[in-house]
Amino acid sequence: MAQIEIEGHVFEVDGDGFLTDPSLWNDEVARLIAKFDGIEEMNDKHWAIVRLIRSNFEEKGMAPMIRTICQHTGLKLREIYELFPLGPARGACRVAGLPKPDGCV
Amino acid sequence: MLQVLASKLDSHLLTSLNACVRCGLCAESCVYYQASGDERMIPARKVELLGSIYKYYYRPQARLLPVISGARAINGRTVTEMIDLFFGACTGCGRCEPHCSIGVAIAHVNAVGRAMLSEAGLTPASLQSTVNAALETGNNMAIPTDEFVDTIRWMEEEMQDEISDTRARIPLDETDVNVLYTLNPREPKFFPLSISAMAKVFYAAGESWTLSTRMYDVTNYAFFSNHAAESRLIAERLRDEVFHLRAKTLVLAECGHGSRAFRWEAPNYLGHALPFETLTSVELIHRYITQKRIRLDGKRLKERITLHDPCNLVRSGGIIQEQRDIIHRIAEDFEEMTPHGADNLCCGGGGGQLAMSEYNERRLKIGELKADQIRKTGASIVITPCHNCVDQLSQLNFTYKLGVRIMTLAELVADALIFDQ
Repeated sequence: MAQIEIEGHVFEVDGDGFLTDPSLWNDEVARLIAKFDGIEEMNDKHWAIVRLIRSNFEEKGMAPMIRTICQHTGLKLREIYELFPLGPARGACRVAGLPKPDGCV
Repeated sequence: MLQVLASKLDSHLLTSLNACVRCGLCAESCVYYQASGDERMIPARKVELLGSIYKYYYRPQARLLPVISGARAINGRTVTEMIDLFFGACTGCGRCEPHCSIGVAIAHVNAVGRAMLSEAGLTPASLQSTVNAALETGNNMAIPTDEFVDTIRWMEEEMQDEISDTRARIPLDETDVNVLYTLNPREPKFFPLSISAMAKVFYAAGESWTLSTRMYDVTNYAFFSNHAAESRLIAERLRDEVFHLRAKTLVLAECGHGSRAFRWEAPNYLGHALPFETLTSVELIHRYITQKRIRLDGKRLKERITLHDPCNLVRSGGIIQEQRDIIHRIAEDFEEMTPHGADNLCCGGGGGQLAMSEYNERRLKIGELKADQIRKTGASIVITPCHNCVDQLSQLNFTYKLGVRIMTLAELVADALIFDQ
């Protein structure tokens, strides 16, 4: 258990900086985590990815496949990697307030 | 825990527990000690910890005089220290072993410590969660089969569009093929370009190959927790899938620990030699090139390129030259890191560290040594034949602002393939 502070807001996170309690997530939290990762302003594409990840998580309890993200947002793979410099898992899923996915990510 | 220790007490382990002469040479070889200067993390201290437990339970005289002998019983304090050192301060990279003046099997001792803890249910939760996902769902990211199949079909279509040939396929569950290929689940889940890259290599080589939908996961996270029953079960599944599909050769994806856990450790887990050929994809690509089954657009890459050696594949597995031969054919400007090859530094993500959030801060700290190595080469592309290393290097790239591209070997090769029309 650890804490991160972004612009005066304090969050309980795991060692990798993922929210300990995903239910505490909201748009403001997403913006702050993104900022922490160097994304100064979330654009429409960022939001489309984050909202899809979030709804998949709420529905199925896990992050969607990258294919689902591409298909539903109409974005190319490489665009997604560029939008989130830390990648779909450590970047986008973290901004969407998910727990850290298992595996080599 | 003591049962596990008893079962592992062969002459190999006994010698290692009793032989350390405290010369201290291992200290500087270890990325944890180099990065932190914390003496507790010196490899010999890990040997000493297990040795002190051994003495307490196996040497009655040492037990009577613990102040002199250093014998220690297993109690709350010892266990906390064991978890912190065996799981939290070792990537199992094994660099300490060749640096040891008398050849103590330090990484093996550390792995025995992990086995004792995992048998007692004391594996760090984040690591055990990945093992459980594999045991319960057949892959370590719990990807449902239909979603896996959809992803493979998608990659197949993209590849066919790209090279304008519908004969370029990603076959699923085909029997009696030459090659059963495997994947790291992070490929279908988040990073599928390496799947189509390898598919292009198979297509160019005219190989008969397949992926399995039942068991495609090359990883074995129970290798990291060193849990006997769990590591054996995962290895059995992969072996049985080769039998099931009647494939001639099993090819392990670019995954350091997965290669080691199956190619070199599985005979120990299973209790018999593997009755089929098993290769890493690095060796297979090298074989295709030397047999002229694939052709590469030689020296097409002008950017400076460097190579990171995954510890399990290189120091432990001895696959050192193949990836270099391949890169030399493609890149004009190849710069090695210092040190490299069998003496290479771990990226910091090995040994299950990437999965263990508990030790994230340490992992990024030891990774700084690797970041410095990369920066000194002046390279703009880093190749590494291990998906786990790719993820750690990507984080180092971001954290230490290296400004490089991280690629697998198959991705580098796929971009350089010449397709016969």
